[in-house]
Amino acid sequence: MSLVTRPGELSRWYLPGILSGLVFTFKKMVSNIFNKKKMPTLNYPEEQYEYGPRFKGNHVLTVKKDGSLRCTACMLCATNCPAQCITITAAEHEDPTVEKYPISYEIDVLRCVFCGFCEEACPVDAIRMGPEWQTAAISGSEFQYDIRQLAYRPSLQGGVESRVDEQERHSSGI
Amino acid sequence: MPKITINGQEVEVEEGSTVIEAYKKLDENIAHYCWHPGLSIAGVCRLCMVEVEGHPRLQIACNTTVQDGMVVNNNSEKVRDTVKWGLDFHLINHPLDCPICDQAGECGLQEQYMEYGKYDPEMAERKVKKRKVVDLGPTVVLDSERCILCSRCVRFTEEVTETNELGIFNRGDRSEIGTFKDKPLDNKYSLNTVDICPVGALTSKDFRFRQRVWYLKEADTICTGCSTGCSVKVYYNEEGAWRVKPRHNPDINGYWMCDEGRDVYKFVNKDVRLLTGLQRKDGQNQELPSVDAAKLAGTVVRDELEKDKNGVALVMTGQFTVEETQSLVGTFAGDLGCKQVYHWINNEDSFDSFDGLLLRGDRNPNTKGLEKVLNDQAINNTWADLKQKLESGAIKTLVVAAPENPSLFPDLDEKIALFSKVQNLVWLSAAKNEALDGLNTNVWQVPLKTFIEKSGTYVNFQGKEQPVKAVTTIIEDALTLTEVAGLLKGSDVNVTDEAQKMTSLKYNYFTQKRGNL
Ligand code: SF4
Ligand code: SF4
Ligand code: SF4
Ligand code: SF4
Ligand code: FES
Repeated sequence: MSLVTRPGELSRWYLPGILSGLVFTFKKMVSNIFNKKKMPTLNYPEEQYEYGPRFKGNHVLTVKKDGSLRCTACMLCATNCPAQCITITAAEHEDPTVEKYPISYEIDVLRCVFCGFCEEACPVDAIRMGPEWQTAAISGSEFQYDIRQLAYRPSLQGGVESRVDEQERHSSGI
Repeated sequence: MPKITINGQEVEVEEGSTVIEAYKKLDENIAHYCWHPGLSIAGVCRLCMVEVEGHPRLQIACNTTVQDGMVVNNNSEKVRDTVKWGLDFHLINHPLDCPICDQAGECGLQEQYMEYGKYDPEMAERKVKKRKVVDLGPTVVLDSERCILCSRCVRFTEEVTETNELGIFNRGDRSEIGTFKDKPLDNKYSLNTVDICPVGALTSKDFRFRQRVWYLKEADTICTGCSTGCSVKVYYNEEGAWRVKPRHNPDINGYWMCDEGRDVYKFVNKDVRLLTGLQRKDGQNQELPSVDAAKLAGTVVRDELEKDKNGVALVMTGQFTVEETQSLVGTFAGDLGCKQVYHWINNEDSFDSFDGLLLRGDRNPNTKGLEKVLNDQAINNTWADLKQKLESGAIKTLVVAAPENPSLFPDLDEKIALFSKVQNLVWLSAAKNEALDGLNTNVWQVPLKTFIEKSGTYVNFQGKEQPVKAVTTIIEDALTLTEVAGLLKGSDVNVTDEAQKMTSLKYNYFTQKRGNL
């Protein structure tokens, strides 16, 4: 859709140029008043655009069936991240079948370039990029996303379940 | 000496050596798990297959003695195919653990798989599940599922430490490594089993999950844990050092090192270090840049020397490089004209002991070097002399080149109590020491560099000189003893930092630390 038609010969002159611009503006104003639906802009932030589920927006850490983090703290995402914005601290889990888990997982989202390499590196579908895209905040520290924000923020409603299930894998003998 | 041809290259090797040794001599690639140059030959992994001309079947390189004129290769299709299927057998019961396995990144299985494998597994059976996270002893954790039963660890406890804690139990695909009842893997060399384990079955409790190995850089240095001075590699990143592993040195440590030596990385890290210069005067503590602290201390030392030639003394430990020792002792005996230099031996009773393998009772890396420097300056003062002079108050100002690794000096508190009898104490040390903050004497503390932050030479118990290079910088404000010696005698010293050039700022720390804004 092109909003502007190419200027004709007359509009190269000062007054005809101004006047043809004003005519255009006035036409749009009238049509917007009488036909709101055709308006291409949104009244952000009251109205918001919903992206599809495959949009690469804010990260989500997925959870297991019991609600604990799926991440095994392998640090492949952190290794793959070109912006070096993922910081993970691993620890020993008391359950020997889990063994290793992250006690802290932080993404500095202002450094993130939303390339999705972390998602691709993860061997267990523990990190995904979701359709949420608003990253506005007031202070600098709010851009440092921690586990609570990445896995359990209210909009995720208790967490997104991972497709890779350790129990299933073990019981099928792999 | 027999000559053999390996992958088209001729090489001459020792009589009676094996084909795999010839491969290693040529630096040719050959797959192997169970063979280790420091252990006996087991020949159980069947991965080191080679094709010997004239033999109808493939041979294992680790257990085939070379004969003159042998023509060997391991790059034919036949060999690659055999290794591939050998590898498949090793992986039948191997778990999908690489993401949580500490060995990933330096794992023999991963390396061989990238070289020979990359196939679809053809095993339809279920994997045999075994015990995970088995506590073998105070230092080592076992994961039986990952073990490929190469028996290196068993042979190590059998042949090197001769403690026989480990064994292979059960049969067939139920076989696993284990310890006997009430006999944990607990010897002074146990962590070597973690190094030689080609997979992630044995992991070190100390290093477990703390870092991924590919984040760490490695550099050659020597262990300063005792006077043996084993050759080691230290693994570090910009936060500090994380672990120490032995490096092959046939003259000193062979392939091994002791468990206590592996702790030397701990005292170089920020949390236990003296970060800036400190001055305690008239009961007031004050932080100042290390150069200023050293200059102030220098003024005091020179003033006191002018008042009374015998009122100043220097205490040395064998913890510093030869160059540093030379310059500090030289400054005192030469420039300042004070011959009262004393050698602080921390453990008189166990000083000459030796455990038969590597570890020595003399826990200083450079005792020999210090003795030589003292000899050259014709200094042979006894400790009893110093003690008597300190107690009588004859010595008013004392300069102490204190240990960089205080955990090896069990008498530290006792000695501080003795030293605090003086009026002015100049404490040169890499380690932070809270006991000094409450003394009634005036104290100047100057932070020093540790062994991985400076270049120099150490002389081990054999009298062997070992030069080492600076690896990285951990405390930027720290000085070497040479620089301190210059500042003490009052000359202007250009403080340089050799290692800093290598660790130029890689990240923008401002954006990295945004969370604190
Ligand atoms: S999307 Fe890219 S830049 Fe952002 S965290 Fe993932 S890997 Fe790093
Ligand atoms: S999110 Fe995935 S790739 Fe990143 S540490 Fe966790 S398991 Fe590994
Ligand atoms: S031992 Fe090697 S192959 Fe096995 S899980 Fe560990 S890293 Fe992976
Ligand atoms: S634990 Fe490691 S060194 Fe010991 S037999 Fe198993 S794979 Fe070999
Ligand atoms: S290295 Fe030769 S059989 Fe294992």
